[in-house]
Amino acid sequence: MPGVSDTVKPAVSRQPRMRPSRVPGRRRRRDTTTAYTLLAPSLFGFAAFLLFPILVVVWLSFHHWDLLSTPTWAGADNYGTVLGDAAFLNSLAVTAVFVCLVIPVQTAFGLVAASFLTRGLPCSAVFRVIYVLPWISAPLALGIVWKWILAPTNGLLNTLIGERVEWLTSPALALPSVAAVVVWTNVGYVTLFFVAGMLGIPQHIIDAARIDGAGPIALFWRIKLPLLRPTMFFVLVTSVISVFQLFDQIYALTKGGPHAVTDSGTLGYTDVVAMRLYTEAFSTFNVGKAGVIAVILLGLLVLITLAQQLYFRKRTTYDLS
Amino acid sequence: MLPAAAPGTPRRALKAVAVYVVLLVGAALTLLPFVFSVTTAFTSPTQFAREGAASVPNPVTLVNIGELFAGGHSFGRALGVTVAMTVVLLVGQLCFSIMAAYAFARIEFPGRSILFWAYLSGLMVPPVVLVVPLYLMMVELGLRNTFWGLVLPFLFGSPYAIFLLREYFRTIPRDLVDAARIDGAGHFRIMTGIVVPLSRPIIVTLALITVVTQWNSFLWPLVVTTGETWGVITVATASLQSQYTSNWTLVMAATTIALVPLAVVFLIFQKHIVRSITITGFK
Repeated sequence: MPGVSDTVKPAVSRQPRMRPSRVPGRRRRRDTTTAYTLLAPSLFGFAAFLLFPILVVVWLSFHHWDLLSTPTWAGADNYGTVLGDAAFLNSLAVTAVFVCLVIPVQTAFGLVAASFLTRGLPCSAVFRVIYVLPWISAPLALGIVWKWILAPTNGLLNTLIGERVEWLTSPALALPSVAAVVVWTNVGYVTLFFVAGMLGIPQHIIDAARIDGAGPIALFWRIKLPLLRPTMFFVLVTSVISVFQLFDQIYALTKGGPHAVTDSGTLGYTDVVAMRLYTEAFSTFNVGKAGVIAVILLGLLVLITLAQQLYFRKRTTYDLS
Repeated sequence: MLPAAAPGTPRRALKAVAVYVVLLVGAALTLLPFVFSVTTAFTSPTQFAREGAASVPNPVTLVNIGELFAGGHSFGRALGVTVAMTVVLLVGQLCFSIMAAYAFARIEFPGRSILFWAYLSGLMVPPVVLVVPLYLMMVELGLRNTFWGLVLPFLFGSPYAIFLLREYFRTIPRDLVDAARIDGAGHFRIMTGIVVPLSRPIIVTLALITVVTQWNSFLWPLVVTTGETWGVITVATASLQSQYTSNWTLVMAATTIALVPLAVVFLIFQKHIVRSITITGFK
């Protein structure tokens, strides 16, 4: 996780390297043996359960396979099928809509909460802990609690408003409702980073702005927000990455539904990419297509991460100039 | 926008009250789903049917919890499997990650930088992408729907844990290690006797992250297990909900069992967890 290195990196400067020439040959050989012995389990895990599966995914994407018959070479067929598949394109669009709904809302809430929590008021820490509770809890279990809250007949929300609203089953409301649950889950996490970022702004800058006559609003927009840029970027990128992998809540709340039957097939209003991948692999057993979706998802997320890496290489500290 | 009022004025106090009101509303919205999960779990199905959602349990009943554990839903087993999975992965990930991180941080050996670079790239791979191939591998190995199938792919440490530990290990003063070496201590003695004890904070952080991640994990257990034999608590909760669609008191008993143990761990270690999320970015 880039960005992490900036916070974790020791304050002490890098220690001088042991120069290989000074180390006697026998000890160096023994060191090498020790190192690889210590590394053996994790190297095995890395090769067998990370590298090899990626190769398998790429291999799958070039084969037709239903898990029963023998896999046959498909060339680029699966790629053509997936890229022309209304269900897959729909899932990309749904995921994009989730990103556009969830990210701005949770960022706004997170900023407001963080600016309230950094005023030095008593009990700020207690609120911070409460807000982050949904984020460390099982998304699946919370999803099911929300499924009850939003249930049409004996759900909590409809009981309270005394009206029957199809929160999760009507095409218009399903996606916004699920997005609201996701925002509810993430706000505390986002808040934590903004609190840390705001507390990292040197007090003398804020004092100087105050002396120059900046009110709280100007202080927020002109001073705090620009200085929060690195935190903001980190939070935005990690949030986008996590929304792209959204699965548990979708599975609990809608399983990708409600569905609409169109000329180009059945499309789900909340059918995100990860749900599509799961359905393709484990419901329709179209493993080749699932492989293509996985390859595309991997490519997308690697691109996002690399963009973030580049950004952080250029800008690791607050830009105070 | 009016300029800020002079300190100590009623305006200022009013502002603080307004901030607290907003914060309290936020806290209530955050906590209510948890609270309602718990209260519904302790409400009898008849009272729930009579009074509807949001009823305060009267009397508090263990009927739903009892039904869950003794009524053929095998939740006791699911709880046991989840605990076993979490413990095995905690021990495995910590041991193997510490060993690897020590090698990266404290030993010079050929291939070190390229291997570390490879591990760092591994951080970019989203877990969803690996589910299908890992499933096929477990089928091939005959480990589908076994305990080993559940834990094996994640047992050998994670690049992320190794990265965090290595960064921390590098902050331990070289003098301490050199002194031990002169006294004749080998790498294993240095690792277990000096480096690990001095790195307790980061190890506790990683332990907490591992427990939270594994207790909550859903997609992999859903894929690799079928039926009740090796079902973990999240999977058992999901299948209970799809079987008993409107028996919400029973379903909320299940979500309560999935949520409350971790919430308690969280409250006990809250300072540590809050700090570790901001240090590590979590996952």
